[in-house]
Amino acid sequence: MRSIILIVVACIIAAAAGYGFYRYAHEGTVAAEPLPAGLQLSGLDGKPHGFEEWRGKLVLVNFWATWCTPCLHEIPELVKLQKQYAARGLQIVGPAVDDPDAVRSMLGPLGINYPVLSGTPDSMIDIMEKLGNGPGGLPFSILISPDGLILDRQLGEFTPAQLIKLIESHLPPATAQ
Amino acid sequence: MKTAALCLAMGAALLSGTAAADGFWPKKDGVAGSTHDLLKADQAFQLVAAEREGNTLKVSWEIAPGYYLYRKRIAFQALAPEGARLDAPELPRGEPIEDEHEGKTEIYRGSLKADLRWPRGAAAPQRLRVSYQGCAEAGVCYPPQTRTIDVIDLTH
Repeated sequence: MRSIILIVVACIIAAAAGYGFYRYAHEGTVAAEPLPAGLQLSGLDGKPHGFEEWRGKLVLVNFWATWCTPCLHEIPELVKLQKQYAARGLQIVGPAVDDPDAVRSMLGPLGINYPVLSGTPDSMIDIMEKLGNGPGGLPFSILISPDGLILDRQLGEFTPAQLIKLIESHLPPATAQ
Repeated sequence: MKTAALCLAMGAALLSGTAAADGFWPKKDGVAGSTHDLLKADQAFQLVAAEREGNTLKVSWEIAPGYYLYRKRIAFQALAPEGARLDAPELPRGEPIEDEHEGKTEIYRGSLKADLRWPRGAAAPQRLRVSYQGCAEAGVCYPPQTRTIDVIDLTH
C-alpha cells in the first residue's frame, strides 16, 4: 500500500514539475512565425508603408484609435519606452484605426514620438486579422523580431511591467556607458 | 518497486511537459492572456431587427454579457426609398459612466431598442444604415460598425 502511495505522489510531483518547467521556460512567448507578406499601411499623408521598413529593429506595432479609451491609456507608457529603448534597437509603430485628421489632432496631446499610420476600419480589421487578431478589437500589439518574425501578440492593454519584461527579453543586454 | 515509481514519475513529467507544449492546458495569448476568448463585434453587438409599427421604426440590439455600446456613437440614416429621412432618434437613457477620456457618458448593456420617426409627409424608410461602437469590459474596444438593414413592416 505504501508503495502505491509513493508512486502516486511521485507522479503528481513529477507532472507538476514538468508542467511548471515548461511554463517557466516559455513564459511570455508564442512560437515565432513569419509576418504575412504584402501587408500595406498608410501614413497620415496617404503614402504607403510596409513593416519591412523597420527591418533590423525590434518592432512593437500597436494598433490604436482616438475613440479607444484603453488605447489612449496605454500610449503614454509606449512613449516612455520608445525614449528609453530606442538606442537599444526598439521601434514602436502606431497604426490607427481612424481618420487621419482625428489622429493628427491627438499626436500633440499624447506626445507620440514614434511613426503613426492610419487606415479605415475595414482595411485595418483585415490587416489585424492576418496578424492574428480574430475579434478585431483594440488595442492590439504585435512584437516583430529584427528579421521579420512575429514574436508575440497581445489583444488588450499591456501593463507597464509586462511591456518592460517583453521588450527586455528580446533586446540585446544593455551595455555600460 | 522504487524503480517502477521512478519510471512512472519520469513518464508523468514528460507527458505533462508535452501536454503543455501541445496546448492541452489553457494557453496564453501574449503575456497578459486575459482577452483571447473575446467575441467578434457582430457576436458582441447583435443588430437584431428594424421593425415598423405604425409611425415608428424600432431598431433593436442584443448586447452580449460583458460588452457595452456607447449611446453617443449610435447613428441612423435612411437609405431607401429615395428622399426618405429620419427625425433625431429616441434612445433610452443609458447607464452613466465616467470614462477616463470620454468624460461623463452613457452606455447600454443587454437589450437595447431605439425608436425612430420620420418627418410628416416624408416616405417611411424601408432601408437603414446603422452605425454603433462599443467595447468589452475586458479592456478592448471595437472599431465603429456600420450595417445596412431592411425594415420589416409589421403594420399590415
